[in-house]
Amino acid sequence: MRVVIAEDLALLRDGLTRLLEANGFEVVAAVGDPDALAEALDGPDRVEVAVVDVRMPPTFTNEGLTAAIAARAKRPGLPILVLSQYVEQLYARELMRSGEGAIGYLLKDRVTDVELFVDAVRRVAAGATVLDPQVVAALMTNAHERGPVGRLTPREREVLALIAEGRSNAAIATALVVSEKAVGKHINNILTKLDLPPAADDNRRVLAVLAYLQDEA
Amino acid sequence: MSPDALRSLALAAVSGERRPTPVAWRRALRTQLAAGAIATIASTVVWAALGGNDFWPRWVLFGFATAIALQIALRRALRHPAGRRRRFAVHVAIFSILMPVEIVVWLLSGLGFFWPVWPMLAFSLLLGAHGWLMSRLPPEREQELAERVDTLTRSRSGALDTQAAELRRIERDLHDGAQARLVAMGMSLGLAEQLLRSDPDGAAELIAEARTATVSALDDLRAVVRNIHPPVLADRGLVGAIEALALDLPVRIAVHADLSETPPAPVESALYFAVAECLANVAKHSRATHASVTLSRHDGQLRAIVSDDGVGGAARDRGSGTGLRGVASRLEAFDGTLELDSPTGGPTTVTIRVPCAS
Repeated sequence: MRVVIAEDLALLRDGLTRLLEANGFEVVAAVGDPDALAEALDGPDRVEVAVVDVRMPPTFTNEGLTAAIAARAKRPGLPILVLSQYVEQLYARELMRSGEGAIGYLLKDRVTDVELFVDAVRRVAAGATVLDPQVVAALMTNAHERGPVGRLTPREREVLALIAEGRSNAAIATALVVSEKAVGKHINNILTKLDLPPAADDNRRVLAVLAYLQDEA
Repeated sequence: MSPDALRSLALAAVSGERRPTPVAWRRALRTQLAAGAIATIASTVVWAALGGNDFWPRWVLFGFATAIALQIALRRALRHPAGRRRRFAVHVAIFSILMPVEIVVWLLSGLGFFWPVWPMLAFSLLLGAHGWLMSRLPPEREQELAERVDTLTRSRSGALDTQAAELRRIERDLHDGAQARLVAMGMSLGLAEQLLRSDPDGAAELIAEARTATVSALDDLRAVVRNIHPPVLADRGLVGAIEALALDLPVRIAVHADLSETPPAPVESALYFAVAECLANVAKHSRATHASVTLSRHDGQLRAIVSDDGVGGAARDRGSGTGLRGVASRLEAFDGTLELDSPTGGPTTVTIRVPCAS
């Protein structure tokens, strides 16, 4: 899978390159600023996914975020995983508004769990929405304070959080150490309690759940 | 003395305007002296030609002399800085000219009953009253400056205290948090290194532990950084940062902002932390369902109003040195103020004002 890495700190750029290459990715470019990122995305190699740091030159604020949104405006649906030292609801919403799916927003810390991180990159490339557990936790708390999310059982809330993070049924089953069938049952209950229509595929369901939580929160 | 010159002097006396430059003044004085001399000589000639009884040109001379003396006296009085002292000096100047003028008029008009005694008495009483009043009232400028020095001393030491406390807190947070976790990580990795050959499973467990510790260390560091300078404030400025903050809290918060330009960074940061503290209180204590933050700029002041529909009864001095009191002392460093209105039963409104020259 062809990937572009945009990260201004050489230490982390090299680390990410090594990590992704070790997991079967082909790093076509590893760049340090938004202009080089745009160039790499426009290049002849059809990039399948980009991993972009939020903070980049020249102002070292949120260039990466802006660059990701701009790239997706230019090439709709371009899969981008945005990494940051801290996460903001505001940025998560902005990224999600940049087009349906194929977007990820994770804390940089998540790279330490190599398997989960690599899986997140693959899922974003496949069109999924992957949000950091911290963003989801805040969404859940706020939604809980306000609405029907409070009527869910603790187990259902766990499942809901994992759905919102963008995990598949199988991944949720593994994470909670239950069968996939049990997960399916929980999901049906959750969708009924929240008055959400059953969704055909995982990605649609994640988007519906996130839209619901953001509305409530 | 020309009517214009008189008017400008009078205006200056009242409004504290700058007096004319010395060069212009000297020229004006010379012109007046020359005019006075010419007029006196001319009138003396006319008087001589007409036969020379009763020496009336003395009045011409008297008129010019009075006008010039009055100007000189007033100019001296106006050297005082604007305010109460200058007004008194002008009073004294007028008095010191009018006295001799009356005596001279009495002399020139052929003596007789010494009538100037009455106006002199009246003027003396007036001047005495003015002087008494001056001594009774506290000196306004000094008073103002003394108060300002007091405020500055207090707010500066308050700001230094707050800053020192902040630094101590940061040091402690780093020491107990990220630093401790890094040490633990180092130990886990060292042990894992030892076990690598003999007990690969044990080593893997330790390495996993070390990896978890990095995540916790990063969490700790993030919390510390947020308290020093929230990254979103650097990214998006005051309004964006407060909008981001509002999204993170479980209460619905409407943010209205009308700031034409970005305030200076220190003011921005102080305002952000002040609003953050208020919103944290709303979330923690108010039991409100809705809150709003309004940011605006009025007459060189930045104003933030945080209000909620909660239960009220908030007190500024609850707790020890933290909370709203801490915010108030932090704001004082920028001459800012915090006003709390929170009757029992609500609603609560906090108004924060920080002067900010545009």
